[in-house]
Parts: sequence; C-alpha cells; structure tokens
Amino acid sequence: MLEVVDPGLLMTLQDAGRPGFADLGIPPSGACDGWGLAVAHLLADAPPDGVAIEVTLGGGELLVAETCAVSLAGADLGAEREDGSPLRPGATHRLLAGSRIRFGGSTRGARAYLGLAGGIAAAKVLGSAATHVQGGLGGLDGRALRAGDRLVPVRRGDLAMAGRAWPAGIAPHPAAVEGPIRFVPGPDLASVPAGTLEELLAAAWRVAAACDRMGIRLQGPRLPAGAEIVSHPLVPGAIQLPADGQPVVIMVDGPTVGGYPVIGVVPRAELPRLGQLRPGDDIRLAPQEAEEARAAWREQRSRFARAAEALHADAVWHRLADGAGG
Amino acid sequence: MTDPGGRLAAVRIERVGDAALLAVVGEDIDADLNAWVHRAADDVRRGRAASPGLEAPVPGYASLLVPFDPETCSEDAARALLLAALGRTADSPPRAAGQPVEIPVRYGGADGPDLADVAAQTGLTEADVVAAHAGTVYRVFLVGFVPGFPYLGVLPDQLALPRRATPRLRVPAGSVAIAGRQTGIYPAATPGGWHLIGRTDAPIWDPRRDPPALLAPGNRVRFVPA
Repeated sequence: MLEVVDPGLLMTLQDAGRPGFADLGIPPSGACDGWGLAVAHLLADAPPDGVAIEVTLGGGELLVAETCAVSLAGADLGAEREDGSPLRPGATHRLLAGSRIRFGGSTRGARAYLGLAGGIAAAKVLGSAATHVQGGLGGLDGRALRAGDRLVPVRRGDLAMAGRAWPAGIAPHPAAVEGPIRFVPGPDLASVPAGTLEELLAAAWRVAAACDRMGIRLQGPRLPAGAEIVSHPLVPGAIQLPADGQPVVIMVDGPTVGGYPVIGVVPRAELPRLGQLRPGDDIRLAPQEAEEARAAWREQRSRFARAAEALHADAVWHRLADGAGG
Repeated sequence: MTDPGGRLAAVRIERVGDAALLAVVGEDIDADLNAWVHRAADDVRRGRAASPGLEAPVPGYASLLVPFDPETCSEDAARALLLAALGRTADSPPRAAGQPVEIPVRYGGADGPDLADVAAQTGLTEADVVAAHAGTVYRVFLVGFVPGFPYLGVLPDQLALPRRATPRLRVPAGSVAIAGRQTGIYPAATPGGWHLIGRTDAPIWDPRRDPPALLAPGNRVRFVPA
C-alpha cells in the first residue's frame, strides 16, 4: 500500500483509457504515454488494463505503508529512496514499509508511470478507471491525487517481481528516438492556405508552457491561419491550426470536437513521444504515410511482445530454479 | 440505394491519422445533414458486431468520424463500410422528434454578464434578446468539446455574433451562451469564448448518472426564463 505525501505538480491514476464515448464529449483520457504505462504493468506483472500512477514532471513524494514491489517506466523523473539512492526506471523495486519515494525531477521527458505488483484498486466509470479531471471521471472521486490519498492493491502483490527489468537489447522507449515527430497530413488541408503544410515542416517548434493532458501549444513562426470550419470530431494527436497561426496538438483529455482546421494527425506509434514532451522542448514535425505509420505501430507491438516473452521465460526459469533449490 | 440530391456523391472521406476516417457530408449547420450524420452513426453502431475492427463512431455537425483498428480491418474496408452506412441512411425518414426538454434560465445580471453587450451589439433590447433566445426550439446537433456540452441550433439570425475576441479563462458551470448560429450550456467550469447570457441549474452533466449527459443528439430543447 502507498500513501501520497505530496502529489508534486500532478499525479493521477491512469489506465489504457476510456475510448468510445466521444459522442458524449468524453475524451479517451488514460496514460499520455501508453507505452510507458504498458511497460510499468509488464514489469509489475499487473494486467494490461490495470491502473498505474502517472507522475508529471516530478516533485512528488509517496510513503510506503506496506512492503511492496513497484515498477517505474516512462520518463526518468529522478525517483529515489529517502537515502538518495536512485530508483532506476525500466525496472521493478522492492520498497520497505515505512520508506519513502521522491521524484526529484528531470531534464528529459515529462511523465513517469509507477505500477504496483498486485495492481492499484480504483473504481471503473464507463469501463475505465482513468482520471479525467475536467469531467470528474475515474481515479479517486474523479480528481487528481492529493496528500493523504491511500492506494490499495487489487490483490497481494508478488514481491518477487522486484528485480525485473526491461530486457537489454530491446529498444526501450519510442521517446528515446531522436528526429522529427511524425504526422499523417489531413483531414483539413483544403481549409488552410496553400503552403501552410510546407511552412509547418520547415519550422522549428518550441513546446509552450501551455502543455498538459488536454493539449500542447507549439510556438514558432506564425502560420497562415485557415478559416474557422464547422466543428468536426477530434482525436488525440490532431494538430489544430487556430486563428493565431500557432499549432495546438490535442492530447488524451482534450476536446472531442473543434472548429479549427486540423492539418495533420500524429499516429498511434508516435503518441508516446507527445506524452513525453515538456515545456521548452524543441521539436520538428515531418509527414508520414498512413501505411508507414501502421507498420511502425506493428513493429512497436511486436517489440513489446518480445520483451514480454523474454520476461515470462525468465520468470518460469526462476520458479523452476527455486523449486529445484527447495 | 438512392442518392437524393446527389448528397452521397458529394461526401468526402478523409484520413485522420493511421486509425480513423472522417466522412464530411457538408460545410453547414443544417438540421437535415446533421440528422443524416446521426442516422449513419446509428447504422455504424448497429453494424459493428458484424464488422470487427470498426470502433465507436463520433458525429460532428456535418461529418462522421469512424475510428478503426487497421490490424483487423483495412482502411479500404473501413471506407467501404462507412460509405455503405451513409448510403443506407441518405434518404431514410428522420427520427421522430420528442417533446422539447425545458431548461429554466436566469437571464442577465451576474448570471448572464454578456447580455447587455449582446443587446448593444445586435441593436436589440435585453428583453428582445431573451425573447428571441427563449422563443426558439433548438435541436441538439452534437454533444462534445467537454463532457456533456450540447451544441444547439439554430440560433435566430438577429442574435448571431462572432465569438468574444478574448476567451474567458473560466466560465461558470451552467452558463447559457451563444456564438454564431449556435447556443450551448457549459456543463462544468471551463475556459470559453462564447457570450454568456444566462445560467441554469439544470443538471447538464452528472458523472454518477447513466447516461451522464442530460441531452443527447436529436433532442429538442427550449429555454424558459426563470
């Protein structure tokens, strides 16, 4: 069991999200970095639809109320024990009752995922426990975590998960990749002046302070703005072009419809990279064919499956070895 | 299938990322086009059991988004299913409109801080603005933006104004607002750029209720001065 001492900038309970209710204005929510969430679950041996803590930019502190095994994935937010020894991301750690974890902060990446062996209990609303603060859905009473909140495991966790780590030799995180963030052009290129796409590609963009679970505002040269259009549905990853010519990328808690032209949509395999952007980051954008984007998604899925197989094989080996030793 | 007025031939299907398509059926706020969008959305929902890979459709004013899983349904197949749903529903009769849902509103004052400004910009008296807003039966074109926000139309022409030049950072929950040919109700405190003319206590959004949104697309709505 864990207790929140200080949620830092923002801690929320998140799972794989609540898709399918956008017709009620309900965004999918869930982890901003779905890859980080999935890795946290894999390392803690928690189910893929389970709940983890999304820690934003650091500054938080948790008290370990009962000895447990927790996994860390996503960004390295400088997690450490109270004696200052680091808790490495991409691994599962045994934490003793009465000890504390602190997130010191980092220089790269925005969100870490803390998974708990045995899972974290949270009531599902519309099929998901993902917190959507604006709509008051999911998590604990539809709100972000705050000091004093207690996180209870779904079932007794397996302490033997401590020591599990992402297999060496399998590429760790999509956000570790350098290079421009990819997007599939459209659907509203006809509603922006000719040349807008080329200007978007040519420019360097800085992530503005307005960067949260709803959207990411980009700062750069003023693009020629399009006309307002009759509002149509949006998806996470949509790059909207408002009247001020500064793009806004819709994120998982963002609006479900919008009236500004969408010049491109960041595909599934690139969304974890968006979830790790932080204010002040400099990025570039590059177009990608839809088929190429789907191939990247399949590659990501198979890479994850290889890691899961490797860890599973390890676990079986350890159980056999323990049995032989006993 | 028939194609009255060539509506189907005018549909554009656009790619939205690597796992969704958007059918654009028009560029206007139009009750007939919007009713078609919702009929097509219902058709897609009904057909999903038989079409693995299609995910829950999302209606817009004159567009329909259909997410799909490219690992189980090719883009070409998704496109064909979407066009078939639009074709089957292009000329079916509109769903029967029920009795209007009545929303009590306190117009003006602290509840509607922009009422005087709207009156000034439209050249009407405040009483005229209220009479025009409350004298129209609206249709819920869609629910979106934030959970439960109903986009209602069509606002009488004499009340149509562009959005405020600078959006408010916080609009109180229950605010009744207008922009362009639309009116809407803010279900929770959010930023917003529409003109606030009144406020209601009607429970527009309650996450503990099923369904959580008071109003659904196709509902008719009348505002009643409280």
